[in-house]
Amino acid sequence: MTLSTPILWVILPMGIAAIVGVFYNRYIFSIILTSVTAFALSMLALFFPENMTLSLGPLNLVFVESLAILGRQITIAYEMLPFITLIFFMNGLWALSSGISSVPKTFRPVSLVMTSLLTAALGVEPFLYAALLIETAVLVSIPMLSPLGQQPHAGVLRFLSLQTLALPFILLAGRLLTGVEALPPDSPLVFQSALMLGLGFGLWLAIFPFHSWVPMVSQRGSPLVTSFLLFIMPTTILLFSLNFINRYTFLRESQGLYETLRLIGTIMIVIGGAWSAFQNNLKRAFGFSALTETGFSLLAIGLTSQGGLVWMLLLFPVRALSFWLWGYILTLIEVRTGSLQIKGVQGFARRYPVLSIGLLLAQLSVAGLPLLAEFPIKISLITAAFETSTPIGVLSFLGNLGVFLFTVRLLAFLVTPEDADFPTRWSFTEETFEYLPVLIMILALLALGLFPHTFLSGIIQTLTAFSQLQ
Amino acid sequence: MLTLSTLAFVLIVITAMVILVFRDWRVNAGALAAQYLAAFALVTLSWPIGMSIVKLIVGWMATATIALTCLRQKESEPSSEPAASLFLRGLSGLLVILVIFILAPNLRENIFPKLDLVIVQGGLMLLGMALMQLGTNSDPYLTIISLLSLLSGFEIIHAGLEISTLLTGLLAIVNLGLALVGVYFIAKTSEQEETTASGEES
Repeated sequence: MTLSTPILWVILPMGIAAIVGVFYNRYIFSIILTSVTAFALSMLALFFPENMTLSLGPLNLVFVESLAILGRQITIAYEMLPFITLIFFMNGLWALSSGISSVPKTFRPVSLVMTSLLTAALGVEPFLYAALLIETAVLVSIPMLSPLGQQPHAGVLRFLSLQTLALPFILLAGRLLTGVEALPPDSPLVFQSALMLGLGFGLWLAIFPFHSWVPMVSQRGSPLVTSFLLFIMPTTILLFSLNFINRYTFLRESQGLYETLRLIGTIMIVIGGAWSAFQNNLKRAFGFSALTETGFSLLAIGLTSQGGLVWMLLLFPVRALSFWLWGYILTLIEVRTGSLQIKGVQGFARRYPVLSIGLLLAQLSVAGLPLLAEFPIKISLITAAFETSTPIGVLSFLGNLGVFLFTVRLLAFLVTPEDADFPTRWSFTEETFEYLPVLIMILALLALGLFPHTFLSGIIQTLTAFSQLQ
Repeated sequence: MLTLSTLAFVLIVITAMVILVFRDWRVNAGALAAQYLAAFALVTLSWPIGMSIVKLIVGWMATATIALTCLRQKESEPSSEPAASLFLRGLSGLLVILVIFILAPNLRENIFPKLDLVIVQGGLMLLGMALMQLGTNSDPYLTIISLLSLLSGFEIIHAGLEISTLLTGLLAIVNLGLALVGVYFIAKTSEQEETTASGEES
């Protein structure tokens, strides 16, 4: 029996999401179905045989990489499976923790549809059509960002508008690029197509000055939902962007492109870091730190000649775990305190020490504190940035301190008692089902920080899908 | 053919101006439907009618979806606006028209040499007006109408560059998806207004 890989990782999860969508009110059923599906597809991607043949007793399932749709193809190559493992695993993790009351019921089916659409976007041929699949994922995400019973806020409208604006730029750039390859590098068409491409990706990745929706959506949405969105969208789009560098020689060999990416990445790190350092709202601070992380990914692409793409890929899983932990704990805190203003969490650590430690460690992991998951990657990245250009190295280092400074401020508020005259006694009031995932994730972040290559080397295999970039 | 395309372009300019200037959903829905007709006429310059008509049907479906939701949800009496607001929006629309007339020949010559000028002008006009609308309001209904106009403008230009069944299908999904998001927003806004009104009464 012959099947194709897109049926497994695109069509099947969409079908399951439709079922989950129908039963979205039965939250235990929807949590179990979504997370089991996502974890199962993740494990299948992890252990998928290279010869693309699965033997289930007497049944031999032979898989082909492509599925033809209306004269075009969706291809999920074996080389992409490590990345697919990551996004489906993280989808499962987010869905598993989505039983908290403040998380919209639509989150589970929507997250599964988004993951499958973005998987399809990575494999569609010609790859420019991915822009339409990404736009569809954006449209699908609206119900989870602006749940029923809430007025649509300006952040969601801006998110929708800016992401939709990216679509024409990417598709037009794609058309222009087809004629550019034969032209000399100084042809104006080369610059015009690169500019359109840059605008498209700038809008997609919320690069300054198109970033304003990120803190707005973070502030108004459920932290678990926004952390998922701010993980899956930039991660997939960044990987998708490698298609352009891989495909077009003039982009790949353009020093100007890498210099621009380093510069934009540094600007994003500085802006995100500076704003997050002085935020008084924990959710907005998360949004700004997500911008910093996008900056680091762009910096990594800008440092391709020093192995930056490997660091970019290594950052994906550790960032995903940190974002999940950050979003999960913020959601729990919001349920308890009703507010995520920094003053609203004063003395919180005295009643909920494990959640507080988890939140601080998630932030410190993103900030790249030694021993935690992002440290080995960020230290390599910043060192390479220093070697390339001292100002870029200094600025990236300083920008990265922003999240660290915010964490120090937050720590002060978390441990300071609300009433100095009658300080709350330290107690341990978390339920087991709340602190256990936090403890497990803290251990995972420590393990990834101590043994990065043991756990993360698999994701680097994704690079083999881009033949010119290895 | 030249007369038809010129008429279509004029219709695009008028409908885009109407959508930019007026805030009544009935007027905007009518203008959007007429705009899709004009966009269809321009797309037929590049594509066979069988393919082009998909854009018209999808556009009208999107318009009908939004208009029917507004009919059920929004208040019957259009709210009056000061003449100064209409005048200022009209002025900004005229500015966009002027800019497009200046830029379009240059853009056509340098970036889209294979396209007719009227296609470039029509597409850019919708893109420009939609961008102006997006920049000057934060109403969910108008945002969705603007995004639909923006995509329509892009589709006019893109149709001249490529013909693809899958692309047409995916763009139809995106257009209908946007319309559904619009319905979702309008229904939510109305619910909220009703809740606020009943709260004030009690």
